[in-house]
Amino acid sequence: MNGFLEALRERVMLFDGGMGSMLIAVGLVDGEAPDEWSIKRPEVLLDVHTKYLEAGADVIQTNTFGATSIKLAASCRDGAPETAALNIRAAKIARQALDEFILGGRFLAGDIGPTGEFFPPMGTLSVDAARNAFREQAAALERGGVDLYLIETMYDIREAVEAIRAVKEVSDKPVVCELTMERKKKGYFTIMGDSPEKAAEILVAEGAAVIGANCSLTSGEMIDLAGEMRSLTEAPLLFQPNAGKPEMAGGKAVYRQDPEAFAVDLIKMVEAGASAVGGCCGTTPDFIRAVRARLDRM
Amino acid sequence: MKEHLKECMQAIIDGDTERSEKLAKLTLEKGMPVLEVINKGFVAGIREVGRLWEEGELFLPELVIGADAMKMAMGILRPALEGGEGGPDRLGHVVIGTIEGDIHDIGKTLVATMLAANGFEVTDLGADVPVAKFVETAEEKGADWIAISALLTTTMPGQKKVIEQLEAKSLGNIRVMVGGAPCSAEWASEIGADGYAGDAVAAVALAKGKTG
Repeated sequence: MNGFLEALRERVMLFDGGMGSMLIAVGLVDGEAPDEWSIKRPEVLLDVHTKYLEAGADVIQTNTFGATSIKLAASCRDGAPETAALNIRAAKIARQALDEFILGGRFLAGDIGPTGEFFPPMGTLSVDAARNAFREQAAALERGGVDLYLIETMYDIREAVEAIRAVKEVSDKPVVCELTMERKKKGYFTIMGDSPEKAAEILVAEGAAVIGANCSLTSGEMIDLAGEMRSLTEAPLLFQPNAGKPEMAGGKAVYRQDPEAFAVDLIKMVEAGASAVGGCCGTTPDFIRAVRARLDRM
Repeated sequence: MKEHLKECMQAIIDGDTERSEKLAKLTLEKGMPVLEVINKGFVAGIREVGRLWEEGELFLPELVIGADAMKMAMGILRPALEGGEGGPDRLGHVVIGTIEGDIHDIGKTLVATMLAANGFEVTDLGADVPVAKFVETAEEKGADWIAISALLTTTMPGQKKVIEQLEAKSLGNIRVMVGGAPCSAEWASEIGADGYAGDAVAAVALAKGKTG
């Protein structure tokens, strides 16, 4: 046992924040996949992971959001790197950051995002193709030495299920699964119409140890979702909202939310029943530091 | 007739392509007024699908199958209208794609599908489309609109480049709409686009409002 679930029972766990925006800030350019930086710029990733640890994150996520073979083939314009090698490399960089960090009791989550393709009727992705791609990625993350898996930003619960099943085929480690939802008149839903009820029922039945939601919503918009999901399941819950809505300034997206305001909202989510919190797009170590400070005062 | 219109509408709302095909064929076999069946039956159906989607009653899969059923019906009925008296107003031709450097396809495809379902001629260039390709294709097809999707803040400037190239080639008569998660009405006006569409339904309304 690596102790993640035990730790989660004892305290609110703080996950890290955004990766893409951190890389853009130090030179990730148009058409370049963030995942490729595990090979091209490992020192930058080591630095980002370390900054999140220093800010107080209990869990850091590998830079592998788009690192299934399916997504890499679409996102790497100059040819995709070898999937397994890339995932192992990413896990090892993050592991190095953890090993070099002065404090123990921190965990490494192998990050798995959607393939970017769609099941019918929207697209032509098959269940087998999805499962195979996720299995290949998970097996590599396992070899890279992750402590848990974080399947995130899933907009189709069917794809999330394939990812969970794939991880379970290659690992006994805990699986966390987050869907990404919008707020509609009738409540929270993924773009496919998957509701919090469905998430609570299906993801838990598939064996996710922790479920939750990330991206799409701002911290303020996600507070009610935390309360709603708490009423639907006894499973531990994780929420990772964005740093507000992106605004355009000079052709670039800027997230203007104040880290303190973000932290206040995350504490409200914890009060509503979240077992773990963290950040998504636009959040930086400053956001995680602000949340850490407030969590410690609780 | 009234019952037939209702059934056509319902086939689209249900996303029942088979039923939609049968009803379209029946319309021709029985010599029913094609234009009326299109407008009060099938189009009414796709409008309702769009409305229910905006309301959050329907989601992406239902929207897509509804549009597919609509395309099936239009594919059968449109030839019967061509050259005929009292054909539908020409709604216009839209060249659509996701801008260079951006591989996000789904939103763009949805907009393309809904435009086609609502009677526009649509040329879908796919994703990762170079600026010049938008302009060349629109010129070649005599398009009324170019619709450019950008899902990344790093690719949004490409939308502006399309507009600049249109102006440089004196093709300012071709209108431009932009869309995609990071875009907004402010962004559209900043770069001189003719409009911003936040979703597929808004794109149809925008194209209808400003064509002809």
